[in-house]
Amino acid sequence: MTTRPARWLLAMLLPLAIIAAGCGSDDDDSASDTTAASGEGGGACSEATAPDDAPAITIGAQDFGESAILAEIYRQCLDAAGYDVSIQEVGGFRDLELAAFDGGDINLAPEYAASMLEALNDQAGEATADAQETADKLKGYLSDLGLVALTPSEAVDTNALVVTKETADKLDLTSLSDLADHPELVLGGPADCETNAFCLPGLKSVYGVDLSAGFTPLEPAAVAPALDAGEIDVALLFSTDSRIVTNDYVLLEDDKGMLAADNVLPVLTTELADVEGLSDLLDAISESLTTSGLTELNRRFDVDVEDADKIAESHLTDAGLL
Amino acid sequence: MSAWSELVDYLTVADHWWGRRGIATRIGDHVQISVAATAAAVALAVPPALWLGHIRRGGAVATAAVNVGRAVPSFAIVALALPISLRYGFGLGFWPTLVALVALALPPIFTNTYAGVAGIDRAVTDAARGMGMRGHEVLWRVEAPNALPLLLTGVRTSAVQVVATATLGAFVGFGGLGAFINEGFRQQDDGKQLTGAVLVAVLAIATELLFGVGQRLLTPWTNRKGPR
Repeated sequence: MTTRPARWLLAMLLPLAIIAAGCGSDDDDSASDTTAASGEGGGACSEATAPDDAPAITIGAQDFGESAILAEIYRQCLDAAGYDVSIQEVGGFRDLELAAFDGGDINLAPEYAASMLEALNDQAGEATADAQETADKLKGYLSDLGLVALTPSEAVDTNALVVTKETADKLDLTSLSDLADHPELVLGGPADCETNAFCLPGLKSVYGVDLSAGFTPLEPAAVAPALDAGEIDVALLFSTDSRIVTNDYVLLEDDKGMLAADNVLPVLTTELADVEGLSDLLDAISESLTTSGLTELNRRFDVDVEDADKIAESHLTDAGLL
Repeated sequence: MSAWSELVDYLTVADHWWGRRGIATRIGDHVQISVAATAAAVALAVPPALWLGHIRRGGAVATAAVNVGRAVPSFAIVALALPISLRYGFGLGFWPTLVALVALALPPIFTNTYAGVAGIDRAVTDAARGMGMRGHEVLWRVEAPNALPLLLTGVRTSAVQVVATATLGAFVGFGGLGAFINEGFRQQDDGKQLTGAVLVAVLAIATELLFGVGQRLLTPWTNRKGPR
């Protein structure tokens, strides 16, 4: 015979148990001091010393894995050098990041030269395939905002339009030009593709390809699964997305040069740029980044489901920076 | 430009109303999934709630179980349902969103129906039995009608929440009014974003009013003012 208190206890615990069963423990990549302090290898980051009057640094991370990893790389390096540094999530698009810069919530962020330039010039199409040229134009817009960009890294992460191997074979697709014969294909990607110069508008103006009829806006994380399930035909991913290789997708070649130099580079406030030695550390990080290296870091995040802080730590160690 | 004029500008372009991703289609999709979710929740919640209320047992446990739907964020349910839906061929959009909305709609309907039946004065049901009614007659002719006002209030609460929450479907490719909010947010198009927000609010208020009228018609005895 169940007593009343026992029954009430059961009633209260049942939902908790169901919730607990439903949610696997998914640790946030919270800033843990132990991981940063462990790498006393004598690299550039741990050998550098932050000036006593250096301001606190808050790094803005966007809502995709690569941004989280890059922010964590910056954080651990600067932390090892003795800066007071933390990470702030700034959501999924550039306006929020710029507002966070403007409001003083962040003062450093990993960015992409061409995409940020086009975001600041209202998609005027000034970005080119030349990283330095694009970064220089970007600096012109940034200076109005009290911001600067440092030297672009070699690592490029542009938009990548991919199809499954099956679709590519069936429709004989190898390049973006080939899409012109197939306006019926359903393109899936983040909603900003509709207004992004390197997505729907670019396809239309550079290739004469209009996929807007079937465009399906999706959360970034849902794009690859939707392609696998056949819900969309063409997926907008990032070129450093490891699933392009692991899932055997066919990357449609940008044969008319629509895409521009989306090289990874740090954007920071002029106040931070003036801190002695800080820019040297960020430049050292940029020198350690390559496209294939970044793709591998993303693979560990997306496929191996490692935490961003672990991935960042091993990158800094391997690069001899920690 | 003011928010108001951006909204008016967006709404007064004919192209924004028609087509696969136009306002008309998206209102239709939004209403369709809201009706489906509320109806499914009624079908799932009312029979067990009536029965448990009738036997006046197990209400606490059942209410706690149903309340899980309120404890887990709808966004989490949408996100969890998406890979399952894709794997089993139910696709993007409608089904993952529906699952979350049904989970959201269950608790108010279930608890109100149960409370409506279980809260009836024993003297009333005893009198019905004393008149010779059998168990199922007591349920259908005494308890169900007495519980109806509370039941309908539960459905009304759920329906309004469902209309507002169906916007989450935009994250998994469902083309309801939430798509305008999501796209407007990502494309930095204030007019588009406001269009979604205002239309959802209008739809939620319309739902509330519709149920208000429906309740007056279905349970006219509750309209009387003052002592009976």
